Amino acid sequence: MVALKQEEMQRLAEKAVSLAERKGVDEAEAFVYQGLTTSVNIERGQINRSSRIIDRGLGVRAIVNKATGFSYTNVLESEAVIEETVIKALSSAKASKADKDWHGLPTKKAFSSVEGTYDNKIVELNSEDLVNIASTMLDAAEKTDRRVFPIEGEAAASYLCKAVANSNGVEGFDHGTIIECSLATIAKGEGEVTPACFEFNIERKYDMNPEWVGKEAARLAVSALKAKRTETKSIDVIFTQFALQQLLQYTLINAVKADYVQRNQSAFKGKIGEKVASDIVTVYDDGLFNGGLRTWKFDGEGTPQQKTPIIEKGILRNYIYDNYTAKKERKESTGNASRAGYLSTPNVEATNFRIMSGNKSKEDLIDGLKEGLLVYFLQGAHSSNPASGEFSVVATPAWKIENGEIVYATKGAMLAGNIFQVLTNVFGLANNERKIGQLVAPWFLVENVKVVGK
Amino acid sequence: MKDVLRKTIDVAVQKFGAEYAEVRAQKLFKTMLTLKEERVEAAKQGIENGAALRVLVNGAWGFASVGTLNAETLANAVSDACKMAKAASLRLKKPIKLAEAKAVEDKVLMTPRKDPSKISIEDKINTALTMSNTILGYDNRIKSCTIDYLDLTGTTYFMNNEDTYIEQGKLYIWSRLLATAVEASTFTFSREEIGSTAGYEIFDIETPEIVGERVAKRAVKQLKAKPQKGGTFPAVLGPNVVGVFVHEAFGHLAEADLTLSGSVLLDKLGKKIASDVVTFYDDGLVEGAFGSFEYDDEGVPTQKTLLVKNGVVVGLMHNRETAQKFSAKLTGNARAEDFRFEPIIRMRNTFMEPKDYSFEELVEDVKFGYYIKNFRGGQANLDGTFQVGIQEAYEIVNGEVGAPIRNASISGNTLETLLKVDAVGKDFELWPGRCGKGQTAFICDGGPHIRVKEVLVGGSA
Repeated sequence: MVALKQEEMQRLAEKAVSLAERKGVDEAEAFVYQGLTTSVNIERGQINRSSRIIDRGLGVRAIVNKATGFSYTNVLESEAVIEETVIKALSSAKASKADKDWHGLPTKKAFSSVEGTYDNKIVELNSEDLVNIASTMLDAAEKTDRRVFPIEGEAAASYLCKAVANSNGVEGFDHGTIIECSLATIAKGEGEVTPACFEFNIERKYDMNPEWVGKEAARLAVSALKAKRTETKSIDVIFTQFALQQLLQYTLINAVKADYVQRNQSAFKGKIGEKVASDIVTVYDDGLFNGGLRTWKFDGEGTPQQKTPIIEKGILRNYIYDNYTAKKERKESTGNASRAGYLSTPNVEATNFRIMSGNKSKEDLIDGLKEGLLVYFLQGAHSSNPASGEFSVVATPAWKIENGEIVYATKGAMLAGNIFQVLTNVFGLANNERKIGQLVAPWFLVENVKVVGK
Repeated sequence: MKDVLRKTIDVAVQKFGAEYAEVRAQKLFKTMLTLKEERVEAAKQGIENGAALRVLVNGAWGFASVGTLNAETLANAVSDACKMAKAASLRLKKPIKLAEAKAVEDKVLMTPRKDPSKISIEDKINTALTMSNTILGYDNRIKSCTIDYLDLTGTTYFMNNEDTYIEQGKLYIWSRLLATAVEASTFTFSREEIGSTAGYEIFDIETPEIVGERVAKRAVKQLKAKPQKGGTFPAVLGPNVVGVFVHEAFGHLAEADLTLSGSVLLDKLGKKIASDVVTFYDDGLVEGAFGSFEYDDEGVPTQKTLLVKNGVVVGLMHNRETAQKFSAKLTGNARAEDFRFEPIIRMRNTFMEPKDYSFEELVEDVKFGYYIKNFRGGQANLDGTFQVGIQEAYEIVNGEVGAPIRNASISGNTLETLLKVDAVGKDFELWPGRCGKGQTAFICDGGPHIRVKEVLVGGSA
């Protein structure tokens, strides 16, 4: 299947909107999405498959008497199906209920300019190139230590594009690329298997170091061997970006979404201007972050993305909004409408949730600790209480720190507490910023975290 | 459809010399609703047609997915898949082989009493609104609720180069209810899921009022719950928690692909890993259950698979590739979320077999421990470390269920914990859910109440 061109995508979006208008909607919006992903996969120590996935479709939002209907299709070749999709959006709206807080679709605004989001080199990669990346990674891991077993991994290149149009004259097109490689390994010792250890590279531009990924995934697994149980006590904890991302995704990030605030599901409701974190914590939702994984010219409903201060030196400054939640408060959208391609209506979501780095190296962070725990991954973070921020999770793998040295890997240590308490207890930030999903952050040093051991 | 699929397979075999080729095509229709409080955020309907092409060339897999059923596009896509496989085979050490499967020609029809595709979207909105009104009307401390609803209907088509051709009707109904309650600075959160492959008649049993009240009641009850001490305690687990434990802590390790990847079960086949009272099944045949289907996505008939019998590991869950590696019988566990994904080993309805204890008998011997009634999420690692988050739990003091506790989770090592199961109840419940393993699968899990001599409880007090 040949990729749809920019003009074709825009024309399709505009056609769907004008068709909806002719059929008598009050307002309409069309979102056309196309994603092409080529990947090469590693399974149990060998490259054994490769795939190409082409997914594209059209989603139409129709508003009639303040009620919203939505319909989508991935059958784009047929005029009849496009028309049927528009009719279904309309009939869904008619079947639905009016929403008094609906104040219209977004109006036209100039899009932001973004950098570092597209690289032609990635578009031109073929599966042989990806096989090379994957095997470099695999070889590096296997060479590191013979106890290492790479269980799965991937090298993948994606080209994504989207077009939007609505009945207020909003229209736009943007495209971008992503390249990634990742490897999960375990190490097998005497009668012992480590938890899965994982490393990766992910970038918008072709800037990969598969050898480092392989080595690092292997090094982590080996150092997770000979794990010991820890005792139950409150100590200082360093969270790596993986652990932070898992912890924040269901708690802090939700707490700053206007949708959660308006619906009484956020512990940050009514706390703008108040201190919610330690002085050293500054957070932006930066939809324009150079090379950010979620950097785009416009969001899921055609509103320009922007950089929004969330927490500055510990003080809560803003929530993030899409068009609906903003208009409900007579505010402007912060460009945080996200959608799952053509398959869904927009939802409030963070773009690049960037926690600003500190100035210590990660070695310095470890060096300064008399007793602590270095936590790479968490298990069970999705079972946190999203409203209260309370969590009870397993740190695996994690390493015990004593007198500034990593002394051994720990086994089955649980962490329990409240993420909002954790934020006020942050007392160190490293200078090792990296991007993981929607999070951009350094290592985090937090005092007084309850560790439940044997 | 059959002709188009046949031609596509022929391209792979004749032009590229594929050892194996399969096409999975789908014509599906979905209705979705999201309600936030009494507001219908959007009523959604969608069409998803597409095809997945998977081939083995030179012993490596090639896969292509396209959102169309056009013959020419499919021929191009399958050529792509073959070229991808060739590229992947460049560094192959051990060529992939598949266990033999019987050729099947079949047509499976769904026979719901109430076909969701024949029910108006207005009726579905009313069902969801009744849920939301029941929740919000239960108590004024309930501040918000979110109702999601999904139904999916249509047909999938499977053909491979070994003379299997299956047309299979698809029907799924799913709904999730979330409620939050607030009092002073205490937030509580409660969730429930409904899922069925039978039909819209699920709402005659799990009525919007019954489910709504269940969610609301739990959120309110939790307001009085206290944080608890962390540490190791005896526990009685409810069917819903046993289910997630069987699924997360044991089931994933018994998915043969993960077993091969080094899960702790690898050297435990035929060995005793649990106490005598522990028997586990993964069963694709439970009528109307959310994890049931007739044929899996490699065209293999589903079955009831015995995994653990009286504490001994007797089976794993397989696809054709792992069955070949283990020289095991096919179990029909290969599933793909949709045409965008390759089939991988997934669970179906996974559960523990009931025995003979009453709930009172399980609780009466516990001096101090916890009754862990309902879960919120769970996760396991290959090394056997599991975590199950809890949304409803109580203290047990001197053999009696006492005060509610909040936001706990239980953790431990699967194998150590299974040996500590000392009593199994005679009741049984099966709960629907969704499982993520890079793609989503609809599943059920469950069992009776059980007692565990000790488990690690993570608490913040």
